[in-house]
Parts: sequence; structure tokens; C-alpha cells
Amino acid sequence: MTATRLRAVPGVVWVFLLVPAAVEIGMVFWPALNSFYLSLTKWNGLGAAQPVGLANYRELLSDDIFTGALRNTVIWAVGFGGLSVLGGLALAVALNRPRRGVGLYRSAIYLPMVFSLAVTGLFWRVQYQPDGTINTLLGAVGLESLERQWLADPDTALYAVLVAAVWRQVGYVMVLYLAGLKGADPTLDDASAVDGAGPWQRFRYVVWPQLRGVNTVVFAVTVIDSLRTFDIVWSMTQGGPYHSSELLSTYMFQQGFTFLNLGYASAIAVVIFLLALVFIITYLARATRQEVEA
Amino acid sequence: MVHSELTRRGFLAGLGGLGAAGILAGCATGSDDSGSGAASSTLTLQSSLSDADPKAALTKVVEGYSKTKVTLNTIAIETFRAQLPTYLNSGNPPDVLTWYAGSVARDYASKGFLLDVSDLWTGSGPCAGFSPALKELSTGADGKQIFVPTSYYWWGVFYRKSAFQEWGVQPPTTWDEFIAVCKTIKSKGVAPLTMGTGSTPWVASGWFDYLNLRINGAEFHRELLAGKHSFDGPEVKKVMDHYRQLIEFIDPKGRSYSWQDAVTPLAAKKAGMYLIGAFVTTAMPSDAADDIDFFRVPIIDPSVPVAEEAPTDGFFASAKSRNTAGAKELLSYLASAPAQQQFIQLSKSSNLPTSQQVDTSSFAPLVQKGIKLLNESAAITQFFNRDSSDELQTTADTALTKFIDSPRDVNAILAEWQASAKKVLSS
Repeated sequence: MTATRLRAVPGVVWVFLLVPAAVEIGMVFWPALNSFYLSLTKWNGLGAAQPVGLANYRELLSDDIFTGALRNTVIWAVGFGGLSVLGGLALAVALNRPRRGVGLYRSAIYLPMVFSLAVTGLFWRVQYQPDGTINTLLGAVGLESLERQWLADPDTALYAVLVAAVWRQVGYVMVLYLAGLKGADPTLDDASAVDGAGPWQRFRYVVWPQLRGVNTVVFAVTVIDSLRTFDIVWSMTQGGPYHSSELLSTYMFQQGFTFLNLGYASAIAVVIFLLALVFIITYLARATRQEVEA
Repeated sequence: MVHSELTRRGFLAGLGGLGAAGILAGCATGSDDSGSGAASSTLTLQSSLSDADPKAALTKVVEGYSKTKVTLNTIAIETFRAQLPTYLNSGNPPDVLTWYAGSVARDYASKGFLLDVSDLWTGSGPCAGFSPALKELSTGADGKQIFVPTSYYWWGVFYRKSAFQEWGVQPPTTWDEFIAVCKTIKSKGVAPLTMGTGSTPWVASGWFDYLNLRINGAEFHRELLAGKHSFDGPEVKKVMDHYRQLIEFIDPKGRSYSWQDAVTPLAAKKAGMYLIGAFVTTAMPSDAADDIDFFRVPIIDPSVPVAEEAPTDGFFASAKSRNTAGAKELLSYLASAPAQQQFIQLSKSSNLPTSQQVDTSSFAPLVQKGIKLLNESAAITQFFNRDSSDELQTTADTALTKFIDSPRDVNAILAEWQASAKKVLSS
């Protein structure tokens, strides 16, 4: 049965399937698998890699910069994910109904997404300068006590970069949710309004369940974007001052491409991979369970 | 069952075949085919001179080279620094690159990245007339020359003459005088020292290097950076005691600035002095250019022979260059006296030429003073990263910027510095 069905597939389709598969395996999966192997070696990119077993991972555990970066990455994933989803959803709901000038607002909020992260970083770095816009504004409204060197202060550097990253991401998430809201059935909303449901009840019990498909997309996009965050941190603080805004990605880059400790950097990459896996699996497990219940 | 067994075996055989193909490909690329494409191919010159004037100057110098077509790639210096190992390590690296003499070049040479240019240093080679100190800086651990120095510069405490007049202070020569000058300037409501340690945290190593040179001497400094002494030993603690005295005088906003940003307060007379390299003149607005002067970092212990930092810039060639003969010819051209002179004058820098055939009598008085400063010093070092490695530099950046934020934690910071330095040096 299966065999006949397979034979019915024309040869040219096989070519179209196999060539991209070979490219994908050769250019993506094979190097990715290699980094697992590299994480068990010491290698500077020249000559043969020396196998060192789990030494890189043991070293990671005693490396304060790594543990700091791990903590920052978790803060980043939660902060970046939470704020951009909440912000994006709120903006989408607010700007969903057609009214005058709404297109202008939508484009204005989406606009930062058009800039590269490096440009965003540069732009915000100017805002955060000691005599920059943010401190000037704080001074103008009498909040001098809140003025600080946002990017040079280890207590605020990570959050200052986070704000810049969320500022950019929120428009993207808004657009995704706007698309989701367009797909929601307006008659259900009207019906529940007639039945006397308040605005919050209508959103929570009528609209929200219809956004499930979009939520999966938003979640995946956000987790991936937050774990691969690199350029904005690099362009704003380079992980400083003294590693206080270091993320796993920036630390990996520094170890791998600045110091050529490729084995050690691969071990960090494996940790990033596992972290992504944990987030995604937890979410998928939850999503499937909900679907079974529903 | 048997069927699936066979497929798996076939699959494994296929994998083995792929592996063998890979090894064969490795042999093919491994074989040295330096003959192919020699002379005819375009040379790539990867440059870190991204500031406007030096960039324009090098462009002009390269335009004057007619033997081979040269593509000049200019990359922002911080990116260049981070990416340099990757450039050198890539399959088709740039032929010639700008960079630094000393430990940094030696380090890359020991990894086999750099082309042996010893023949440029002998006989009638372009570098044969350079000073022995420059030759030593350009020599790898195996005794071969791997670097072509084309200019160097000095470090000093830069200030505006008119500002010092306004504040009624004189350039100090001793530590006590220096602290007194700082106090006077501070009393005028001006930050005595500016220092951009935000996106360029390495600037903080300037004071560290100099205090170490003044207190413990050049020999100890070199040994410390080579890992022969401890960063939490009593000698370094003494250095940090002096560094701590400076912190109250340093403009706190400098923590958000790059070294270039930190020149602005100096030019605007909102800051008094800046310990920085002579390249500072390129970042100075033109109306302040004639007003700028410098003095030697004050003497702390008169019994310690005076040492100065004189970082040496130049070029090296990649060992994997496809056109090594062409790369060497380009290096010879860049090292020649006319090219050096043209570069220094066009770049408006205060760099000094390495070739003794360059006539320096027409150079600015500031540069003459710089030449005198270096001639009077008993020992020459370069800078923290150039005397050690970029990786050790990041441990210094972490320790020193942290120290400037919280000088009370000096002991913990030094212990941490020693631990991370040990890790870098042993790897």
C-alpha cells in the first residue's frame, strides 16, 4: 500500500525534496551536531581538536561570568518575552478597531522593527548618555534623583538594553496579534456583549481562546528571539560594565570569536540549545494538554 | 529485518564515503599551491584605521602603489579587534593587515597565522635600518620577524595650555604636585581628569600601566603581564593605592563615554587633563589643536628608571596569503620612508615614523616634544594589551572598571583579576 503510493510520486518531486534536504543536513544539521562534539574538546580553530571530555562543562560551572550570563539570559527571556507579549497584545487590542488615524499609530509602532538592531542600539545609546534625552527629561520634571548613567551602571545596564529591545519587538508582536484578532469571529463578541459580558470577560473568555494559534507563533518567535539576542547588547554595552549585561550569546561570541576558545564556546552554545529546548518543550507539552482537554 | 540491516550498513558506508571525501578535500586545500594566481591577483589590505583622517591617509598611500591592484577594506577598530583571529584563521584571509607589534603579533605568530618577513629586515630590505628596539618588537618567539612597524606614538597627560593659564596651574613633575594640580582644578568646578571607559574600557589600563611603570618599573611590568607575578601581590596593591587617589578627580561621566567622547570635555575646558596616546590630536577640534600640549606622567619614585609607553603600529601579512611575494612587496612599499611620511602628514596624527630616513624637522612642535620624551626614557613598553594579549586585556578591563566604581573592594577585585588572568595565561 505505502510502496505503491510512494511509487506514484514523480521522480522530479524526489529531486526537489532531496536536494534541499541534503543542503539542510550538510549546511545546518551537520555543523550543529559538530558543535556538540566540539564542546567536548579544546580547539583554537587550527589543527586538530583535543578531546577533553566534560572539562569544558565543569569549567562552566565554576565560571562566575557564565553563571552571571545564565542568570541574565533567564531574566532577559522572561523580561523580553513578558513585556513584548503584554505590550504587543495591549497595543493590538487598543488599535484593532478601525478609527481615524489608527493606521498612523500602527505604522509608527511598527517602524522600529524596520531598523536593524545595531541601529536601534546606537539610537538608544545616545538617549542613555549622561547628558542624553532620558536624563534631561528626568531633570526637567524634577526627578534628578533618578538620573543615572544607565549603560555604565551595573544595576541598570541590562534593563536599559532590555527596554530598547522591547521597544523594537513590541511592534512586531502587535502586528502578529492584530492578524490574530482579525481572524476572531466578531459575532461571538457581539453575542457575548448582548448576553451582558463585560469588556474583560469578553476578552478573556471569548477573544483570548480564539488567539491560541497566534499565541503559539508569538511564543515560539519570542523565545527564539530572546535566546538569540546578541547584536543589540553588543552594540550597546558589549556585555559590560564588567559582564553585568552579559548574555550567554555575547559570552559565547567573545569566547568563540574573540579568544578562539572554540571548544568552550561550543559548550556555551550547547547550554543555549538546551535552554531553548526546555522552554519549547514545556510550552508544547502545555499546549497539547490544553488541546486534549478542549 | 535483513533488509533494514542492509540499508543501515549502506547508510554507514555512505557516511564513511562522505568522511573520506572530506579528508581528501582537506588534503587538497592543505597542499601549498602558492604558485597559483601569484602576482596577477588583487591584494587585500584589511585596515582597522577607521577614524576619518587616518583612513583617508592610508587610502591615499595605497593609491600610490601601482605594482598590484590593492583592495583596501576598512573596518571599525573594535570590530576589527574582535574579528582579527577569525580573519587570520579563515580559508582565504586578507593578505596584509594593519595591527600592533609586540606580544599581540607574537601571539598570532605562535599560532602560525603570520607570514615570515625576515627578508625585509636584512640586507637592503626596507626595515633593515629600523632601530633594534623596533626589531625586537617585531620578532616572534622563534626569532623570525613577523611584523613591519611603520609608525609609533607616545602617551602623555594632555591638556589645553590656555586652560592651565586660566586656572593658574603649571604642568606637574612629581606625584604630589600632580595631586595638588588636580585639587586646584577641582576647586574651579572642573573635572581634573577625563577618561572614556564606557565602550572603550581599555583606556582605564593607561593609568594602571603608568603607575606600575613609575612605582615598580618596566621590568616588573613586563613580567607581571607575562604572568610571572601576581595581580594581587603587594606591588600591584601599591599601584592601586595610587590609582585610588585619582578616582575622586576622574569625571564620573567618563564611564559612559568612549575615548573619543571623553575628548569633548577636555576641548570644552570642562575637564582638565587626559592621560591618552598622541592619537588624541586627531579627535581634537581644529580650533583647539594648537592649544594642546602634554606632560610626562609624574615621577613617583625617582629611583625607578623612567619608562614610557610607545605603542608601535604597522602591518603584518597572513601566512595563508595566496600571493606572499605580492604581500611582501606591498609591505616594503608601506614601510618605505616616503609612504611613512605621506601617511603621517595626511593622517594629521602625531605619530612618529619608524624609518630614520624620514625628515622630522618639519613636524609639529608637539611631535618634536614627543620624540624628545621617548629619547629621554630609559625603557619603552607599549600598552597593556600589546604587551600581553587581547584576552588578558579583558581581565584588566573588568578589574579596573569595577575598581573605578567601587575602590573599596580592591582586595576582592585583585584576587578575582589574578584568578581570571591565571586562567587566560594557562590556556
